Amino acid sequence: MFGIDFSKLPGLFLFDPNDPLLFGSSLFLFLFFALLIFYRIFSKSNNTRILVLITFSLYFYYMAGGLFLLLLILNAILNFYFGKWMGATNVDSKKRNFLWLALLFNLGLLVYFKYSNFFIQLVNDINLGQFELLDIILPIGISFYTFKSLSYILDIYLDAMEPTESFRDYFLFVTFFPNILSGPIDRAVKFLPQINKSYSLTRKEIAMGLMLIMMGLIKKIMIADYINLNFVDRVFDSPVRFTGVENLLAVYGYALQLYCDFSGYSDIAIGIALLLGFKLMENFNYPYKAKSISDFWKRWHISLSSWLLDYVFRPLQMTFRNWGKAGNITALVITFILVGFWHGASWAFLVWGLLHGLYMAVGLLLKGPKRKFYNKYNLTNSKVLGAIQIFITFNLVAFSFIFFRANNFEMALDVIKQILFFFKPGVFIQFVEGFTPTFILIVLGFLFHFLPSSLGDKITDELSKMNIFVQAIIFTLVIWLVTQVQSADLQPFIYFQF
Amino acid sequence: MISDRLKKIICNELYLDPSSIEINDETQAPEVPGWDSLNHANIIVAIEKDYGVRFKGLEILKCNNVGALQNLVDSKVSD
Repeated sequence: MFGIDFSKLPGLFLFDPNDPLLFGSSLFLFLFFALLIFYRIFSKSNNTRILVLITFSLYFYYMAGGLFLLLLILNAILNFYFGKWMGATNVDSKKRNFLWLALLFNLGLLVYFKYSNFFIQLVNDINLGQFELLDIILPIGISFYTFKSLSYILDIYLDAMEPTESFRDYFLFVTFFPNILSGPIDRAVKFLPQINKSYSLTRKEIAMGLMLIMMGLIKKIMIADYINLNFVDRVFDSPVRFTGVENLLAVYGYALQLYCDFSGYSDIAIGIALLLGFKLMENFNYPYKAKSISDFWKRWHISLSSWLLDYVFRPLQMTFRNWGKAGNITALVITFILVGFWHGASWAFLVWGLLHGLYMAVGLLLKGPKRKFYNKYNLTNSKVLGAIQIFITFNLVAFSFIFFRANNFEMALDVIKQILFFFKPGVFIQFVEGFTPTFILIVLGFLFHFLPSSLGDKITDELSKMNIFVQAIIFTLVIWLVTQVQSADLQPFIYFQF
Repeated sequence: MISDRLKKIICNELYLDPSSIEINDETQAPEVPGWDSLNHANIIVAIEKDYGVRFKGLEILKCNNVGALQNLVDSKVSD
């Protein structure tokens, strides 16, 4: 009947390592709507509602990460007790011991799974010994939930919050499915108080949730995935086969792709959480509108940058505070190398992080002279200056992403060499003709990014005034549109380097 | 209550006119113009110098507003 092979149906609901459950999939949408129905039915009984949410979260993680679910559960149990023990003692040295224990457990697992092979390779490369690489699979989301848990432990240590009495609440905080795979890295101090509030949504919140999910899907699947498959990947896979102008467009395209991919996923997470009655922290705030690198880091992956600011940069800065500017610079460079390393165990990420540390250091040194210069020529509020600053900041960021994206260091240099020495601006026309949809998407993507942010609020307002059925139709249309683009054939390779 | 002395040190570091700025117990760093995460260290060092005291790193990290900073200074001065 209907050509459905029912014997395959049960398998659909089991973990498949080759097809982990992600927000973009139709199975997820189906499961999520089922959850929303249950969630509404039990909306009056907080206990049942939270239990439903925890069960769903565990199932979601199982579908995405298989039996690493057990590690996640262990993380929740142990960190709950570390927090409890830290809160129960008034003796500073005991508190510190529990902190070390918690750091050892959390960072130990993270380092083991994420960085073991990097360090083994390093030892081999510098001939300190020869060791076999380990056969390790990275538990999905471990970088995110480890940092989530650590914020709880560190905030208790810094007296910024009391440990929660409720294991159930803490367990939900750690396992909460919307942000478990890719953030935002929410803080316990903001999340825990929301759990026991009764569940009710205003029209505005529903509209905002739907809007975030729709925008997220469009950004992630229509823009990021499309320009990646059809253009960016091709150039970065063999930069020397393309002219400089194409390499440059691929670098800009990648900046857009990375933003749309990551912020799109965050938007979906925040939107889903909102429909479940939870406000997660903002993760992206129009990052390419930044007027300086430090401004960029207040707008890009905010939940990570603020985490590192609070728990890494500030303590380092206080330790080095008597060194003057050198103290700040040391703290900045160490913090940003860690930012790079957090993204992955590779030299390319380290270089990328180091580059941003250096950008920040130069920015700090230029701050005084710049202020004097702007004041002298009365430029502080100049629009032209603002535009120039945005342009320079964007190019510095895009440049750093070459190292982030390139398959290896040599290929990153190839991209730069092509741009500098083989630019061939005339090829631009051929690019627009050959890759019209890609070109249009890149232009539209940047255009939307630079529109005033109030426009999104206005659209959300309009959406909130609409009838629920109209909202459902719009939502379905967007999903249909997204799936059309998703299933579209790859654009053929129209031209090679001339 | 924030003492005039503490307020003066903060304003000096940030090139602010103390009479034009309101700082009370509840004030948090980002609410004061120019008090960002980078020059936070300069302000702390200036306070330490002016009062001739030395804070522990953890003590400063625990301060979540100017009132807490004032209490920390007071506790050091009265020692």
